[in-house]
Amino acid sequence: MKAKFFKLLLPAFAIIMAVGMAFATEEANSTQTGYYNHPILGVQAIPTDCPETGQVLCMEGQWQVFKDPALTIPLYERFE
Amino acid sequence: MVSKKIYRTLVPTASFLLVLLFVYTATSKLLDLDTFEWRLAQMPHLSTHADLLQWGVPFSELTITGLLLSPKFRILGLYASFALLGLFSIYIIAVLASDHPTPCSCGGIISTLGWREHILFNGAFMLMALGAILQSRRQTK
Repeated sequence: MKAKFFKLLLPAFAIIMAVGMAFATEEANSTQTGYYNHPILGVQAIPTDCPETGQVLCMEGQWQVFKDPALTIPLYERFE
Repeated sequence: MVSKKIYRTLVPTASFLLVLLFVYTATSKLLDLDTFEWRLAQMPHLSTHADLLQWGVPFSELTITGLLLSPKFRILGLYASFALLGLFSIYIIAVLASDHPTPCSCGGIISTLGWREHILFNGAFMLMALGAILQSRRQTK
């Protein structure tokens, strides 16, 4: 019974738990649309995973990325 | 006796946690493949291979999961886990050393970790895999 638990139930439990966790945390990690002002093309939309809090401004090349198309809410890099 | 007890505990525990890690990260990547590809495309040196890597990385993780789940190939799975985590860590160190740190392309909630935390995270799992490898080698001698 104990051997059966380790050979079958434990791996099955690990897989189900991992897949469940992946679905549960999917929303928290998905990208959002960010916007930057291109001097020639105007406001451009790009996918970004930059959050609204942080210390280093989120950049797309040389242009700062914002959360809204009005370019009022800055986004920040998520890493240090 | 004690060694046998450690083997009986360490190898299945390490395998269980590595399966959890690889299935979680692979599923997270596959659930949001576009984001994963986009993140890969931002990474130095890897951007040209983003198409291949977006499938290759989750496939490798799931293959290693299969090895870890099979008692016959578990040791091979532990070696492969150690090697894959080592490769990820070397790449992270290379990114940290460069002037252009980029978003982490790892799957799920792990992508919210900073690069340094990610190295520690990988290091902990690598140590665990190494411990299980050493323990299983000692056991088979």
